[in-house]
Amino acid sequence: MINPQLEVRNLCKSYDEGRIEALRGVDLSIAQGEFLAISGASGSGKSTLLQLLGGLDTPTSGEVLFENRALDTAFNFDDYRAHRVGFIFQAFYLLPTLRAIENVQVPMLAVSQDAHNRAERAEALLCEMGLQHRLNQYANELSAGERQRVAIARALANHPSILLADEPTGNLDSVNSARIMEILTGIQKQRGMTLIVVTHENEIAHSAARQIRLRDGKIEA
Amino acid sequence: MAGKLSFTGFAWKNLWRRRLRTLLTLGGIAMAIGAFVALVGFSRAFEHEWLRMYQGTGTDIAVVEKSFLNTSLDESVGAKLRALPMVEQARPMIFNLMDLTPEINALVFGWQADSYELDSLTLTSGRRFRDGQPEILLGDILAENLKKRVGDTLEIQGTTFTVTGIDHGGSALEAGAVIMPLDQLQQVSSLQGKVTAFHVRLRPAPAGEAQDHYVKRADAQIEAALPGLHAVPAAERASNNQIVLLAHAAAWGTSAIALLIGILSIANTMAMSVFERTREIGILRALGWQRWRVMLLIQTEAAVLGLVGGLLGLGVGWGTLRLLSSLPQTASIVSASVSSLHLLEAFGIALLSGLAAGAIPAWRGAHLSPVEALRHD
Repeated sequence: MINPQLEVRNLCKSYDEGRIEALRGVDLSIAQGEFLAISGASGSGKSTLLQLLGGLDTPTSGEVLFENRALDTAFNFDDYRAHRVGFIFQAFYLLPTLRAIENVQVPMLAVSQDAHNRAERAEALLCEMGLQHRLNQYANELSAGERQRVAIARALANHPSILLADEPTGNLDSVNSARIMEILTGIQKQRGMTLIVVTHENEIAHSAARQIRLRDGKIEA
Repeated sequence: MAGKLSFTGFAWKNLWRRRLRTLLTLGGIAMAIGAFVALVGFSRAFEHEWLRMYQGTGTDIAVVEKSFLNTSLDESVGAKLRALPMVEQARPMIFNLMDLTPEINALVFGWQADSYELDSLTLTSGRRFRDGQPEILLGDILAENLKKRVGDTLEIQGTTFTVTGIDHGGSALEAGAVIMPLDQLQQVSSLQGKVTAFHVRLRPAPAGEAQDHYVKRADAQIEAALPGLHAVPAAERASNNQIVLLAHAAAWGTSAIALLIGILSIANTMAMSVFERTREIGILRALGWQRWRVMLLIQTEAAVLGLVGGLLGLGVGWGTLRLLSSLPQTASIVSASVSSLHLLEAFGIALLSGLAAGAIPAWRGAHLSPVEALRHD
């Protein structure tokens, strides 16, 4: 692959002083605008890989490169997470004290942006998610599907080029799962964003342009 | 547009999610700042009233033996003092604090009937007392609290005194005090021939000599002429007399303990809040929040607790002083006025308390690993 957007080389991650090896020498290149599914059994290391790709954690050895630049201690991880990637989690992770429109503004507080512009963009994103009538609801007043749509709007807040989704449909019924995947693939296509989804659902994995499967911390051939 | 989220708004929402805990913490810091405003304000007002009293009577120097609490100075020293060339007048006085009724105690001054200090008082009714007679002047506030008028009697230490006049002095101390003939106070206190201090009024300073320098020169002259005695400028006496120093020490000591409790209550609240919100901090970090911004959020919450608690505390302190200044037991020594500098100081202490209390929880929260924080239940 020529000039991959994201690349990992011989990536290893171990915990508990090396007793637990979550990743054992993973090599992977991801192109700009690609839809990649990472699947595997529980404990196979797929979420760990996603965390390393998103700059949430640092590898024990090996390296992660974003646009040919290594994500290492010299790299500003906060800036990378704030501007380059958007996270979507299985448990949504909305802040309970905030309304939907305020939740979407939280990432924007990490970058310089006028308060009026923040609210305007949050409203536009929520409308895009079909939540124009739910702007002022708190997380506990929203259905699971609505919460995940708010979380997607939040992930898009700072115009990232990569969306990282960790089991985005894990807490949803089949109807909402289909809706969320439809939204995510729609965003990926319309905006040309890279979409990396960790999933254990074959249907979702098969819908991706490329699928890799992890087993015991390694990519299965 | 509705739904704008500001940084401080976010901090406030975090605090308000646990309303009871936040209110209790605010109550704690408000009580601490209230104690500081009331106690330190009281002790400073007390000092200020002493200064006003000295300034009002025109006393330049107080001559004492050891401490202000001792009435052990021999009255005969007055003749030697008056013989000094710089001294215009040297008047003996006794100062005491006495129970007048089971509820009311008051400062009692013993002055000579022809003392220059009496000239500073305005008699609102009646006349001055006479030496050798069981007669007293009552400050107007004290008279009101005791419900006494000219001609009424008041029993002090077993002796019945007649109220000959009601005075209005230049300071709250005089307004709440009893003034009686020196010899009468010596008699009721069994201190014949002894005085607390001599209040000295100096002759005018020579042309070209600054008053401060002149007073210091007079101090030296008095101490040289009367070895073993201390001559203290009146302004210094107001701030350094043992009663004022005791009031300051008690006020600062009690306030420091109250402030420490207030700081600990904020620290406890913030530590619990950070612990409870570990996952949320992980979310913020995952969403690109820098460590310093997480620290700033937690410190802002702690500062808001300090500031809001401080504002409430200013009200509590001011209200307490108002209450104390209206109670008969304390009206004579408590002024309801609080300087704006003191309020600003209290507000600053409240803010610093919040920041100090929030520092460790903020540092801890900011240094959480995003992955471990997200895993937190």
